[in-house]
Amino acid sequence: MRIIAVCGGLCMLWATLIGTTQLQNRYTLPWILGSVLPCYFAGLFIWWHAPSSPVARRLLLIGTWLSVTIAIRYSTSLLIRAFGWNLRPRPYALLLPADFGLQILSQSFDLIVSILLVRLLALLPDGAVLFPYERRILRALWGLLALPFLLPLTGMSQLTVHYIVFYYPEAWMPGLGAVLLVVRCLRAHAAGRRDVAALLPFAAPGAAILLARAASRLFRSWQGEQGVLYFVGAVLGALPYVSVSLVIVYAAFRHRLLGVDLVLRRSAVYGSLWLIINSWYLGMALTLGLTAGQYFPIGLSLLVAVVATALFQPLRARLNALAERRVFGKRLSRFELLVQFGTTLEHAYDLDRLAPQLATGLREGLNLQWVAVRLGGDGLPVSAAEAGERPAGAAPLGEFPLLYGEDVLGLITYGPKAEGRCTPEDHDIGETLARSAALAVHNVRLTAELCARVEEVQRQAAELDASRARIVHAQDTERRRIERRLHDGIQQELVALVAKLALARNRLHRGGDIDAALTEMQDDAYRVIDELRELAHGIHPPILTDQGLVAAVTSCARRMPIPVTVHSAESLGGLRFALDIEESAFYLVSEALTNVLKHAGATHVTISIARGDGRLLVEVRDDGTGFPTETTRGSGLTGMRDRIEAVGGELTITSGAGAGTTIRARLLERVREETRA
Amino acid sequence: MPDLSGPLRVVIAEDHYLVREGTRRLLEDTGQADVVAAVGTAVELLDAVERFRPDVVIADIRMPPGHHTEGITAAHAIRAGHPGIGVVVLSQHANENYAFDLFRCGTDGLAYLLKERIGEVDELLRALREVAAGRSVVDPRIVEVLMGSHARAADAPLSRLTRRELDVLRHMAEGKTNRAIAESLRLSESTIEKHVNSTFAKLGLAEIPQLHRRVSAVLAYLRHAPHGPNGSQVPHN
Repeated sequence: MRIIAVCGGLCMLWATLIGTTQLQNRYTLPWILGSVLPCYFAGLFIWWHAPSSPVARRLLLIGTWLSVTIAIRYSTSLLIRAFGWNLRPRPYALLLPADFGLQILSQSFDLIVSILLVRLLALLPDGAVLFPYERRILRALWGLLALPFLLPLTGMSQLTVHYIVFYYPEAWMPGLGAVLLVVRCLRAHAAGRRDVAALLPFAAPGAAILLARAASRLFRSWQGEQGVLYFVGAVLGALPYVSVSLVIVYAAFRHRLLGVDLVLRRSAVYGSLWLIINSWYLGMALTLGLTAGQYFPIGLSLLVAVVATALFQPLRARLNALAERRVFGKRLSRFELLVQFGTTLEHAYDLDRLAPQLATGLREGLNLQWVAVRLGGDGLPVSAAEAGERPAGAAPLGEFPLLYGEDVLGLITYGPKAEGRCTPEDHDIGETLARSAALAVHNVRLTAELCARVEEVQRQAAELDASRARIVHAQDTERRRIERRLHDGIQQELVALVAKLALARNRLHRGGDIDAALTEMQDDAYRVIDELRELAHGIHPPILTDQGLVAAVTSCARRMPIPVTVHSAESLGGLRFALDIEESAFYLVSEALTNVLKHAGATHVTISIARGDGRLLVEVRDDGTGFPTETTRGSGLTGMRDRIEAVGGELTITSGAGAGTTIRARLLERVREETRA
Repeated sequence: MPDLSGPLRVVIAEDHYLVREGTRRLLEDTGQADVVAAVGTAVELLDAVERFRPDVVIADIRMPPGHHTEGITAAHAIRAGHPGIGVVVLSQHANENYAFDLFRCGTDGLAYLLKERIGEVDELLRALREVAAGRSVVDPRIVEVLMGSHARAADAPLSRLTRRELDVLRHMAEGKTNRAIAESLRLSESTIEKHVNSTFAKLGLAEIPQLHRRVSAVLAYLRHAPHGPNGSQVPHN
């Protein structure tokens, strides 16, 4: 096979050489470019990757055989010219044997190409015979090879032989192959071979096109190969070879025609397709120019050729783009890049996903060697992504900062282009993308903030519910405590007093002295009064109502067994705050002082009451032992916080082992009225 | 100056009927007081004072309609209109701030007593006589709170007093004479007098006439009593 391939290549070179230099055959290059080269190259390409595949082998054989045929034909022509052979006008009988042999060889080779093409098409996709009839038909085709020998013997005219041996097979055989493939697909469908049956949607139109081509070639042969018709004929003549080559290379890549294990490099596949398309395009353009050259002066024909080339250029570009898209998937054009990112960014809320998308898209869209993207910063977590291999220590070619107003929300750095230099348009696109990305990051930032706020609100709502429940619970507990003190303390003492009164009366009736008893009862009564006073004070200190916060706090401070200094701003003297504010502040102080006595072991406490920013600030600071604020969760502290937060205030507790404790409350400063003073 | 030898002419203002009548009977039983009127509100009190011109008034601190500190307001009004009439304010609040409020325009002829003192008729009568004489009395409970308090400004004049002088001052604030103080502290009267004079000196009261010294001492005490840097509740006399 290798030898055949090398032969094919050499023959092609030889034919090109002698066809263009010696024979001055203007159609050499178009034909070779339009049909032989695509076929040969495609065959070589897939055979290189899958040497054992019959499809690859046949394609390469076709390419090689085309080369060999044209080489033989040109060699013949060269010999004829060199030795004065002239086949055409002479009667058939006068032919020299060598001449005749060469002609038969050339015709046989033409036939072989056609037969190979039939075999290739008819046995797609795997190249193996599925049904016995296929083998019979395909074998029978080889019988055609007898025609070049037999027909001349029957005395048929040389032209007729040429038509029968070369022209009709060349025209109809591809169609026959495609029809056989259609039949194969239908039967495979019936036999349950789904892989083969799946080709039907491609085989049927293929057959239709190739049969149409055959019919049109017949038509051309009747009209004679002149002018535009010649060009059309050339296009149609190259069609099967080009299309089959393209389809097989593409199918080998896309549908694993040659075997499941074969992995083709995308760039190689695309390169092959590109070569085939461009070779064909060049061939066609040359043909057109040459066709025009037959009828017009050289200047005009050049013009026609140029115009034709220009007209075919979009087709070629379209084909190339199609091949590229098919092979590489959807590669982004610049505007596609912008459009796609416009859409992506609209929905971007995940920077970790956006960063690689942006890097990859930008790299592919601008064809850069590498792109590094860093999104975030300025309070956001940073997401970074890279596309392409960045050589270690390589300095970036440039960078686009992601700016939103004054904020820098990320950075895009990029390396040089894979090919060529960066154009101003590339730069503009990069900048536009950077701007859009900055917007997206800003969006993400807003979203994050919103989420945080919503979470905060939800947390506050939950905390509010909890603190409400705690407050209600604390109130219930307090009520029960009061009830107990009334019933178990004061009421019992009054009952005892009543009993003592009764005793005293009895003693009086007996004429005894009740002076001591009365004194005792009076003392008891004083005790009850004291207890009642204390209880009432606990429920609500009257001084708070009557004289306000500062007086109540001062009074409370005086009753502490340790020194307490109260600092209060002058302006607070006559000022009365809303009742709930005063109460909350007072209970904070009172609770804090209780805690200081119970836990802190402090020697001094400072209470500050001040106003600022429309807030009432209350601070209780001790020099006691302190406590770790993270781990301490006393119900006293929680109760304090609840009480302060219930009136819209904030509580901060600062403490640390050995550092004392500072409790600060910021309350809304809602002023009630001026005191009477 | 009322005639202090005869029974004191008293007006009682107290919204609670039982307490009002109980107080009246207790006082009248002693024969040392003549209750000329017993009323239930501050307005009626002022009216009664205008009509009866008593020697002394006993006023509850909380009275209708507000039930706050109507007694104190009435006391100030009476003292302003009739400097000769002494006022004893009876209060259920063992809170010094109410006393400060009462004394904020001067201590003369005013007394702040806890309500349960009506059970100790002798004490009550003594207070009535003191205020009728233009002097001043503060309930021992209040003094106790102030004396017991640790919270006081470091530069207060009281901090210069010795423990014994503080004791003497406390008794003085309760309206006791030197003799009574000597008896309470089981010391000689001359020793007490020495302490009293040194207290006056330390409080910067040496130049003030004898009669007002004691009141001024109490005032000084009250003024420097612990209520933080802001002393607005206790004005200078």
